[in-house]
Amino acid sequence: MTSVLGFTVFGVDWVFLKPYIVLGLALGGVYALSGVGIVVLYQATGVLNLAFGAVGAAGALIAYWMINHTSLPHWLAYTACVAFGGIVNLLYGVLFGPAFAKRDPLVKMMGTLALTLILLGIMAWRAPAGGAFVRVITLPTTNHTYELFGAVVNLTQILALAFAVVLVVGTTAFLRFTRLGTAYRAIADDREITATLGVPVRRVEASAWLGSGIVCGASGLLLADLFTSLDYAALTFLVISSLAAALIGRLRSLWVTFAGGLAVGVVQAILTPYNSVTNYRSATPFVLSIIMLLWLARRRVIVFSPSTR
Amino acid sequence: MRSRKVTVGVALAACSVFALTLAAWATGSSSRSASPLVGSGTASATKAVCGLGNGKKAKGRPIKIGAINMLIPGVDFTTVAKLSEAYFKCVNDNGGIHGRPVQLIQYTEQLNPAQQASLARKLVGSDKVVGIVANTSFTECGTNWKYFQSKGYVVIGAGVQAECYGTPTYVETNMGPRYSNIGAAQALLKRGAKSLIIASPDTIAAYADGGVLKLAKARGIKGQSVPVKLPVTDANSTILRLVQAAGQGGGVILDFTPDTAPALMKAAIQQGFVDRVKWGSSTPIANEEMAKQFPQFDGKIFINNEFSNLSSKGPDETLYRKINAKYTPKIAIQAFGQMGYMDAKFATIALLKVKGAITAKSYNRAVRGLKNVKTDMLCKPWYVGPLKYHIPNNWDITVTYRNGKVVLADKCFAIAPVDSEIVQTRKWERQFKLNTRK
Repeated sequence: MTSVLGFTVFGVDWVFLKPYIVLGLALGGVYALSGVGIVVLYQATGVLNLAFGAVGAAGALIAYWMINHTSLPHWLAYTACVAFGGIVNLLYGVLFGPAFAKRDPLVKMMGTLALTLILLGIMAWRAPAGGAFVRVITLPTTNHTYELFGAVVNLTQILALAFAVVLVVGTTAFLRFTRLGTAYRAIADDREITATLGVPVRRVEASAWLGSGIVCGASGLLLADLFTSLDYAALTFLVISSLAAALIGRLRSLWVTFAGGLAVGVVQAILTPYNSVTNYRSATPFVLSIIMLLWLARRRVIVFSPSTR
Repeated sequence: MRSRKVTVGVALAACSVFALTLAAWATGSSSRSASPLVGSGTASATKAVCGLGNGKKAKGRPIKIGAINMLIPGVDFTTVAKLSEAYFKCVNDNGGIHGRPVQLIQYTEQLNPAQQASLARKLVGSDKVVGIVANTSFTECGTNWKYFQSKGYVVIGAGVQAECYGTPTYVETNMGPRYSNIGAAQALLKRGAKSLIIASPDTIAAYADGGVLKLAKARGIKGQSVPVKLPVTDANSTILRLVQAAGQGGGVILDFTPDTAPALMKAAIQQGFVDRVKWGSSTPIANEEMAKQFPQFDGKIFINNEFSNLSSKGPDETLYRKINAKYTPKIAIQAFGQMGYMDAKFATIALLKVKGAITAKSYNRAVRGLKNVKTDMLCKPWYVGPLKYHIPNNWDITVTYRNGKVVLADKCFAIAPVDSEIVQTRKWERQFKLNTRK
């Protein structure tokens, strides 16, 4: 590309590159949001929730159905999506959480994989992808657009990023200053001892499932609006980027997870105009998480377990 | 310990109730009330019928036909076989094949060559199908063409990759993305596009985009292929790259199914790119669902349509709509439906031509003998014939969106002969009189 300002980054004019950074931040905001939801649940229950994307996708499909096949107000459909995430996660946590509580993290994770497959099956059955059926969710905020460094961003993208920041700040404060937050941290340290101290462990864990589920539903709604048509499989597997963000944060640090989500989004977007690597940019989440793991291994600080029980 | 058992019991009970409820829901939703017979009567220039069209239910041992369709995140090709199955049901409701019903056995694959190969062997070896109809996949032609050839099968399907149009085994009702993209590029050039940028799924881009690049080179303008990994997770960045590459007044061709195209079209609308470049597309998004969803593209996207316009009143188009409404009411009217309809229609014609016992040998011999098969869904008659490869569909129309409808933009035109295969195909058509009968 010909340089307009005489300033190129690895051969791509800065003017051409700037919009990708803005679009990447918008994309990364939702990855960060989902990543934080995953980390909070992991910290409280020790469960790495692989069903995060599937639950969000199912919620978005319910919202789509309510919008297009009922006369109910749209806000109710959006609420239903968020509520669906909360309810499914809560039910899973209440019904299966105690049974899995003392199992290895891998076993706990496999439980959520089962939930993913069940939801995928139901979605494939009731809302098959393909053909000419075009499912698109457009939130009212998406129609408000702003130009920034040559890219157009909409209010939904800005809200997603803001929501992620609020979630990180709010969760950090919640964990530090509230009784329930203290209980979360105590459970993360040692579930058994916390229980013997009279903390209602199951109720505390249930609240973590509910909170994470609400974030999950909100993420599903945002992702369905922003990045794809309502393809349940694509939405389900978008969780990979969020998981990478969570891994970058070592499943512990909310702020690093937030930064990791943004990094995945920005790097993925910035690679787009480079012909030599653009076809590999979908590997960004894996590459970044591997780099982070190698970096941590160098300092021997890889600790993923939320507790030492 | 006891409370844990109770919890697990409650969980299992809840799951059972949930599963039963879902099952009841599904069963209820699939029940179909009795509907009038379709496809009956006598075929004429203005009326198409299903098979014999006698309105009698076929009975007895079914004639088995097999299909393999790709189903991956971002692309679902099962619609093709679903519509073929619907057509066969219509045939079965109208006398079947001289009284015998046709049964379509459909399998799905996920771009795994081992899976594709084993499904082909299962259909031929275990299921004992007499023919293969409605196969559609990004890569299945390449995996199975030699096997099917060795068994004497000629596949009537809807193709995507080079082997679907470059081997004697497959004869497709569509022309596939390469030639459809060339048609879209011709439409954009006709409207003054100064460059041709094309985006296709990365698994087929090398083949699907190659013809457009040749056309751009022949016209002395910029041509670029942008392979896109599916599912698309960063539509905004992808669309920005395409528009930047095209430049003001350039042409951008989207070669995606309705599973993926909406994400890119939404991004184009959001980024304010709809009027920045001239938009083109291959066939799959030529349907009213898309037209209704994207009024912003009214008159601004030129879609190459390998088949007749979906709203046309021709006999096959009319019968397709009726069959779709009766047998697959949940599937929207679309190009993949047209492909499935034609696949089954042509297979039925071959089956009805078989003299004596219907076996794999007799059916596939009948398929090879098909030529000058008329349908209003194609610009020219369809054929098989004794050829090294087949591109029987090589004339197209261009359509665009208008007020939620898909409307005609360009009448039937010949796909530009930038590939030697198209040149050779047209020679064969004249030599063997394959599609010359009016």
